[in-house]
Amino acid sequence: MKKKILLPKLKYKFNFVNFSILIAIVLIIASWMFIYKVDKADFGGLFTEKNAFYAKKFLKGMFGIGEETPAFKDAESWKNVLKLTYETLQMSVMAAGFASIGMLLTVIPAARNVAEGKLTLSKKWYNWILFGFIRVIYIFSRSVPELVWAMIIIFIFKPGIFPGALALAIHNFGIIGKLCAEVIEDTDLRPIRNLASCGASSGQILIYGVMPAVMPKFLTYILYRWEVIIRTTIVVGFVGAGGLGMDFKLAMSYFKYSEVTLILICYLFLVALADIVSEGARKLSS
Amino acid sequence: MQQLNNIFELNNISKVYERKIAISSLSLTIKKGELVALIGPSGAGKTTLLNILANVLKSESGQLLISGVLSDKYNSGKKLAKKIGIIRQQFDLVGQLPVVHNVLAGRLVEWGFLKSLLSLIFPQEKELAKKALDRVGLLDKIYEKTSNLSGGEQQRVAMARLLVQKPEVILADEPVSALDPARAEDILSMLTKLVREENETLITVLHSVEYAKKYFDRIIAMREGKVYFDLPAEKVTDKLLSDLYDLKELN
Repeated sequence: MKKKILLPKLKYKFNFVNFSILIAIVLIIASWMFIYKVDKADFGGLFTEKNAFYAKKFLKGMFGIGEETPAFKDAESWKNVLKLTYETLQMSVMAAGFASIGMLLTVIPAARNVAEGKLTLSKKWYNWILFGFIRVIYIFSRSVPELVWAMIIIFIFKPGIFPGALALAIHNFGIIGKLCAEVIEDTDLRPIRNLASCGASSGQILIYGVMPAVMPKFLTYILYRWEVIIRTTIVVGFVGAGGLGMDFKLAMSYFKYSEVTLILICYLFLVALADIVSEGARKLSS
Repeated sequence: MQQLNNIFELNNISKVYERKIAISSLSLTIKKGELVALIGPSGAGKTTLLNILANVLKSESGQLLISGVLSDKYNSGKKLAKKIGIIRQQFDLVGQLPVVHNVLAGRLVEWGFLKSLLSLIFPQEKELAKKALDRVGLLDKIYEKTSNLSGGEQQRVAMARLLVQKPEVILADEPVSALDPARAEDILSMLTKLVREENETLITVLHSVEYAKKYFDRIIAMREGKVYFDLPAEKVTDKLLSDLYDLKELN
């Protein structure tokens, strides 16, 4: 006789993931139906002759067709744009540097396990106050977009790369601070307890146990944010913070499309450079 | 003065974890220079006892004398570190630092903050680290990143740190549980040899009865928070051991 295998009865329980997938499908279908039926969207409207004409004109302009000396063939504009590229690089390094210095000065009390006294094995009454205060600053500085910071700062200072760098630094300070505080919160406690049993004070635990463990991850985050900052310089440039961003805006307003191409090429270079540098630094630190 | 010869004196020590009794009124004396193995089935309270001896855990009742002084008197980490050194599994070293700094961490108890900071750039008292690493046979790995070392080598670095720290007692919590038998024997024989040479006391939690009999003078067996037997290693019989690890619950 065959042994009968009894399966336990399947129970239908509420499953958050399945439920969310279902809701997502319903939402996608419903929103497309809304676009078609209620909004009467017309995709044909995107591909009119008029739009095609403008697109063609813009692309032709970007490739410098019909222009006597397109900007990317002109030595003078190369010189000008390369100078701006260098300025942009300066602005991004300054911004990443300021943000990192600010982060390094504040990140330790901003970690929950430090506030609880678990990490350095010393508990002080002001730990939680400091923790809350710094975390609020982090939230405030990163919740205001770079563009808004730039507009405020340029309103106070005169336009230039320094206020641009400052605006980028303030916004990224909040982001790097939060990320790095979380790195500290994930530190392995076993080596730290052992250092404590060797009689290390909380300062010594910090430099022997915590710093070496978190620094490689800090570096990764800082370099990643640096790459983001390079790209964001274009946005703060729009409001007068200098660098390539400001030139980009001017080129667009004066219909100098070939110069737009040149600026985009320079951005490509910058991001590639950031990539190479961060790759190299990560290899060295690991 | 008989008391000065006793490094640990426990009187009716009890420890309770949320209604579960880990250790119940345990009394023990450990003399200077003894090599003690703590054995017993899982959950018998061996590690709890070790943590109480290390002054990491406080007992609910009873008193613990370390070198004749009440354990509460050792309120600073520095004072305790000169008495007691701890070695656990291999995850106790800072993996990102070179070996030399992990060894010199044994000197942190003597150093101030600035000297420790300087040492991270220019290793201070390097001769000490060199000597200690030479004794555990790892001198060639002095500038290697610690996490690149194998488990056995990391335990040897931990021993080199203890040589630099020079505590009076070493408490070891399953120091070889993550190692294969050959490496485990290597580490245990080295540890017991160094402890004998340095005239220190060693208390080790072990899972292997075989190693306990081979390398230690005295075996303390624990079961359900109590001392099941406490005998010189050569007097431990197979009958006692099979009773100790018997799966039947004691009444």
